[in-house]
Amino acid sequence: MLNFLGKRAVASAISLVGLVLLVFFLSRLTGDPTGLYLPLDASEEARNQFREIHGLNDPLIVQFFSYMADLIRFDFGDSIRRSEPAIDVVMRGFAWTLQLTFVTMSLVVVFAVIFGSLAAFNVGGVFDRIATFFSLIGASAPDFWIAIVAIVIFSVKLGWFPTSGTGTVWHWVMPVSVLFIRPFGLILQIVRGAMITALGSAYVKTARAKGIKNRPIIFVHALRNALLPVITVIGDQAAALLNGAVVIESIFGFPGVGKLMIDSILQRDFTVVMAAIMVTAMAIFVMNLLIDILYSILDPRIRY
Amino acid sequence: MTRKTHLFVASALASAVAFGAQAQDNSVTVVLSEELEIVEPCSSTKSNVGRVLFQNISETVTEMDPKTGLEPRLAESWEDMGNGTWRFSLRQGVTFSDGTVMDAEDVAHSLVRMKSPDIACEIGAKFFGGIDITSNIIDAHTIDVTADPAQPILPMLMSTVTVTPQDAPLDSFVDHPIGTGPYTFDEYVRGQSITLSANPTYWGEQPTVQSATYVFRSDSAVRAAMVAAGEADIAPNIALQDAVNPAMDFSYPNSETVFLRIEHAQAPLNDRRVREALNLAVDREAFVGTILADGTLLATGITPPSTIGYDADLKPYAYDPDRARALLEEARADGVPVDTNITLIGRTNNFANVLETMEALLAMYQEIGFTMTLEMVEVAEWLERYAKPFPENRGPQLIEAQHDNANGDPVFSMYFKYHSEGQQSGLTDPKVDAMIAEATAATGDERAAKWSALFGYLHEESIADVMLFHMVGFSRVNERLDFAPSIRTNSELQLSQIKFK
Repeated sequence: MLNFLGKRAVASAISLVGLVLLVFFLSRLTGDPTGLYLPLDASEEARNQFREIHGLNDPLIVQFFSYMADLIRFDFGDSIRRSEPAIDVVMRGFAWTLQLTFVTMSLVVVFAVIFGSLAAFNVGGVFDRIATFFSLIGASAPDFWIAIVAIVIFSVKLGWFPTSGTGTVWHWVMPVSVLFIRPFGLILQIVRGAMITALGSAYVKTARAKGIKNRPIIFVHALRNALLPVITVIGDQAAALLNGAVVIESIFGFPGVGKLMIDSILQRDFTVVMAAIMVTAMAIFVMNLLIDILYSILDPRIRY
Repeated sequence: MTRKTHLFVASALASAVAFGAQAQDNSVTVVLSEELEIVEPCSSTKSNVGRVLFQNISETVTEMDPKTGLEPRLAESWEDMGNGTWRFSLRQGVTFSDGTVMDAEDVAHSLVRMKSPDIACEIGAKFFGGIDITSNIIDAHTIDVTADPAQPILPMLMSTVTVTPQDAPLDSFVDHPIGTGPYTFDEYVRGQSITLSANPTYWGEQPTVQSATYVFRSDSAVRAAMVAAGEADIAPNIALQDAVNPAMDFSYPNSETVFLRIEHAQAPLNDRRVREALNLAVDREAFVGTILADGTLLATGITPPSTIGYDADLKPYAYDPDRARALLEEARADGVPVDTNITLIGRTNNFANVLETMEALLAMYQEIGFTMTLEMVEVAEWLERYAKPFPENRGPQLIEAQHDNANGDPVFSMYFKYHSEGQQSGLTDPKVDAMIAEATAATGDERAAKWSALFGYLHEESIADVMLFHMVGFSRVNERLDFAPSIRTNSELQLSQIKFK
């Protein structure tokens, strides 16, 4: 296992360096940010001063090596837009994104596994039809529309929840609920499909023949074997959320890393773009590693 | 219920109380469209920075009121000393919120700071580019300010200069602004909110609003919903489609003017008949109340009607497709390459329904017989095409732009937009250069007359651009407030002007 972890860490580090190279040069290809930060009427003198302050007058290759030299010392540079360390800006946003992802995916996993398993147990039954219907709606509904409608109904009309923002437990209800819908629909369908296969297998029939009750058959015997493809999809969905739920962050005023990244790309705030991509990439590497470990725990045949 | 259940219910109830009690009687919550990247007074001409800091935290030397003209603020009076020097007599008994006394040293330091090469202050770059500013302290409350070249409107320019304490750094932005204004800057929780509270040592009258919280939501519908739900009191700048409640929604001229910039050097746009045809081909009135808001005005010049020298007698070009076609044919007969493809360039998200507006313009031009294609581009790409140096091999282009002038004087617009050396000028016309120089140097009624003459020349003789609309902005205001947004709300929001009903 340690050998495997070491190999994965090296592979991740190589990928990260490649990513840094790619993002550094691609982001610079978008052009000079000076015009975005100074007023349209700014003189050429003021523009040159701005470029000088932010090291933009140097040749690109010089900028790159200077950036890498700083990066080795864990100095990600200062945000052009915010005049503070880029890593501070990113970590502040990432903490919110991480919390949002954790809460949402925890709820998604619990509910999707329970409802998917129960739907698979009685295929074609009333519960299965209802679960399938709602999960398909959830997987295909546009989240920005659901978010706006939810605000109008639950905040403006009923006054049950705050429209947006952070601060109390109630502020989390609508963003988490809206974020919940799509991965829940998708994962429920995956669980259902995997469980139908598992419940039709020989070892389940044997268990039934031995008189074991339905609950342990579903949640102990079948579920464990059905979970491998489910975990893969959970990983994909969690990675998507870690990249930032841009729409939800924008609508509900959650100061996460997704909206920060989009704003920084549009504003050519290169240091923040670089830091955000690196932090997110590292988080996804760690998550994939955890998923690999989980595979081996769930299926003893998998050994690294 | 178990102990855990009790605890959950108790914490939920506490949260509910906290959420329900956000609006105290003498406090307001303002929801802005974007988070402030910096809280630097010398960049408070940026609209969202200005709405928090300008005249709330940091006050200016003079103050420009679109209704009454130039007013005293930290300076009580000023006089022209000749040779580009103006003497400002500062108000006495003014202190910064940190307790230090405001005097001429602070004003001198603020002038140096806004032009500091180590920080990119918006005010210095925007209003004092190409101008050397020096000061001479006469006494603690008297200061001479000299502009080179001389600026007859220096007192007006001083309405943009926010005064910071003399220990404000010259090489970095501040993250906790100190000012002389009616409010103090309490806290900035990045990504979430900014809070201000009334300054108990303010030199002027104590404001009614005792504290303010600013929060940030990028979606217009959410900003409007926050006011409707009572979570916020003011949402400046909401979209047309969200301004549906007459009791809460205000429309007002927002000082923005939309136009198509023509670069005259490129054929066939170098032909006056073609430029006139471009103006006659647009049915401007068809936009108002459909794609654009009711109340949108048809423009004849680049500055709104509140600026001095605005010529109300100038008439917008009437929609006349037959005349436009005839002009094109006439130009074609004289060998003007009128069939050359013209690129119509729009800026995405520049204003509500910009795409629909650009598509409608394209259809109108194609209907007349122009060969034209539309490109919608992001702001960064737009800037590369809009500002000099223009890209090579660009071909003839019409570039949509929206220009803001809430300062009351065309000088803030005309040089950059129309002078041969102007950063965004599509013109090279010595006559225009001379008219700009004369109007800039003039004062009083003569100044207004000279600006009027320039507007007339650009609109009727040169046909410099395709002037389109003076735009309307929308803000939603909670009914508990006695406050009407105005043209100034586009760039500032003076909390001290807000009362409660």
